[in-house]
Amino acid sequence: MKKQILTGNEAIARGALAAGAKVITGYPGTPSSEVIGSLLKEKELTGVKVEWSVNEKIAFEIAAAAAWTGQRALCTMKMSGLNVAYDSLISAAYSGCRGGLVIYVADDPGVSTGMCEQDSRGFALISDMPMLEPASVAQAYDLTVFAFRLSEAIGSPVFLRGVTNIAQSHAPVEMQEHELPPEKPVSLPKDIATYTKAGAIICQNQHFALLQSLDEAEVMLRKEKMDTLILGKKRGLGIIGVGVAASYIDEAIDLAREQGFSQEDADISYLQLCHTLPYPTEEISTMLGHCGRLLILEELEPHLERRVYLQAYQEKQNVQIWGKENGVFSRSGEYNAALITQALLTMEGISLPEDIERPNPARLCAARPITTCAGCPHRGTFLAINKALRKAGVKQSEALVTGDIGCTILGMNAPFNTLWTELSMGASIGLAQGFIYAGIKTPMVATIGDSTFFHAGLPALVNVVQHNINMTVVIMDNGWTAMTGMQTNPGTDEAHQAAGKKQIDIELLCRGMGVEQVLVADPYDLPQATEAMSAAIAHFGPSVVLMRRECAIQSGRRKISYGDLVLDNEKCTLCKACINQCGCPALSLEGGALVLDKNQCNGCGVCKSICKFGALSLNAE
Amino acid sequence: MQKFDIYVVGVGGQGVLTIGELISQAAVASGIPVNVYPTKGMAQRGGFVKEQIRLGRENLGPSIPPQGAELVISMELSESLKALPFLQKGGEFVLYGLIWAPTEVMLGKEHYPSRQDVSREIAAAGGRIIYSDPSQLPQGVRENIFILGMAAGHTRLQEFVPAQSFRQAIEERWPAAAAANLRAFDIGYDS
Repeated sequence: MKKQILTGNEAIARGALAAGAKVITGYPGTPSSEVIGSLLKEKELTGVKVEWSVNEKIAFEIAAAAAWTGQRALCTMKMSGLNVAYDSLISAAYSGCRGGLVIYVADDPGVSTGMCEQDSRGFALISDMPMLEPASVAQAYDLTVFAFRLSEAIGSPVFLRGVTNIAQSHAPVEMQEHELPPEKPVSLPKDIATYTKAGAIICQNQHFALLQSLDEAEVMLRKEKMDTLILGKKRGLGIIGVGVAASYIDEAIDLAREQGFSQEDADISYLQLCHTLPYPTEEISTMLGHCGRLLILEELEPHLERRVYLQAYQEKQNVQIWGKENGVFSRSGEYNAALITQALLTMEGISLPEDIERPNPARLCAARPITTCAGCPHRGTFLAINKALRKAGVKQSEALVTGDIGCTILGMNAPFNTLWTELSMGASIGLAQGFIYAGIKTPMVATIGDSTFFHAGLPALVNVVQHNINMTVVIMDNGWTAMTGMQTNPGTDEAHQAAGKKQIDIELLCRGMGVEQVLVADPYDLPQATEAMSAAIAHFGPSVVLMRRECAIQSGRRKISYGDLVLDNEKCTLCKACINQCGCPALSLEGGALVLDKNQCNGCGVCKSICKFGALSLNAE
Repeated sequence: MQKFDIYVVGVGGQGVLTIGELISQAAVASGIPVNVYPTKGMAQRGGFVKEQIRLGRENLGPSIPPQGAELVISMELSESLKALPFLQKGGEFVLYGLIWAPTEVMLGKEHYPSRQDVSREIAAAGGRIIYSDPSQLPQGVRENIFILGMAAGHTRLQEFVPAQSFRQAIEERWPAAAAANLRAFDIGYDS
């Protein structure tokens, strides 16, 4: 055993290795990406297949097949990715598995990583699967190791659910050494009753088996004492908490005592859970039979709380239940100790300390909108789209351009204000087609990044081609899955991929799909990029503009400069057009003069194309 | 042991996350329970970054409650205000008065709070300001390590993590460039 500081995600990666996982797949998505990210940084991972797959559904299928043969496998994703994988996942739950199959999904209560507040426990409910919910970084490690054992014991896949503040936290973890997966001959038993869904009887039998496996999981969790049940005073106060919400109990009680909460520790009953599903029915019964009032702690949806209500009704227990259903907690946001303290005080009838009404000081903060980095190729693309639409006679207030997931969505912000929508991976294309069908008359442009295009944009573009839709898809190919931390994707240059991996050429792909007009442009060359956009908009029928230039962060890491930008303050009229239009962080005003930050500038030259006075020029390198 | 919570705010590019990294390493070396929870968001250069550091007690969840932090470390003047709701009454507030103006502020289209605004708000929240003027920072000194030195030498953090643990963490983090970073730490520590 050794102790090391790890993030929650790294702890899950280490846990999977310690459990002897053979196959680890996933698609990047904050806050889940560092599980695979940290493994791919390892110099040598003998005997383990680790990959970023093209999307979560495919990642899951790869992991599931490995588990069917008896190997242990882990698949990772953010909550939105689970929606993509779920079609295969619920079917695989019906089929079960032989080797341990663990699906790690990271939720984001409080939306600190900018998506939805989806409570993925709902998916565990739908597919009758256990879902383990670590309350700390250290527990993330332990529960990962346990999840594989659980999965094998019940013959079904198991969810491991992270939340942002556990996934991203750094804390010391006690770890075992990496166990190499045993070299063993593998095979898949030919068994259509398990591995197909052909026929009602097969499906229903699989469903019965699945329900039974969930019951077995409940028994195993109890037998292995995975939860903590401590009984206090009869008819007294009880607290039931799951996952990270339970980690605030001690602190909340201390804070409550400062406000006159007088319960002794020994008087309070506790049930601390590392899972909502399977429901801990016996433990809930014990709490209902023992306590007079119960406080339920769980972030987001009241899944556990509703189970407590149900059992209270079934068991005719007249217990007061405090939580979301009586309005003490919200179904939105993450918990902290102060929130729980308030609930405890309210339950005890202690009046809350008068909050001195002070306006939030953050109201005085300078707005700090996220924009594109210095040298970001997307800058040229947004400017080119805006210019081309303006040239086509479309007012910006009417130029509906759809956006997609990733850094490419930054075009929604100033100074570009190009994008109107962001929905889900690949949705920019389908939405654009829908707007045309609905009767929007302006030229329709959809924007999408390279990784997002591979992930879910491909079928949408096929649909556009098949139905011969008059629209332009702008594929912003920067060669990396950038927003989530620079993962590789099928479009990444082979030189930057692991040995033996192939790059897929998006241009050939689009031509092969039958897109009538495919134009390739360099977003660093603003006139060229604008011309390509204009030609695509003028074309009647499906068109693609492939804006191709590597992410500036990645090229910057390899010290690539595209030229030496020279600022001539003599020629600068201080019209600020460069700053107003580019919003480039390398350009600023100081002491009444334009200043260029050479440390940030990579010589992309976009600002040079904006300046009408020749104050910015580029010396090629 | 009592808990000690530190709420750190700043802007992407200032090395906010390195502060948490060093504090966690130093805490582990001193045998103190620690959890560091950074929120990078889209942590690019110039974006808001915060970090919640919880020291000294087992069984603490990752998020600091409002008015829970014994110490705030702010690396940027305006962003200080986002940390204030988390400062305990009577808590310490290390303020590095750097102004990192967003584009719209630079263009004069958006408001930026004055130092007086920020000081007044910190005082109203009952905070004790430990101020550092960026213009006084010697050339070539890394501001994040300097600020960590300030916090290590001038706040109650020293009751929890001894300076020696920080120096050791710095040496382990930058084996080749330890001297320059130790110097930055010591300038802050002795300031």
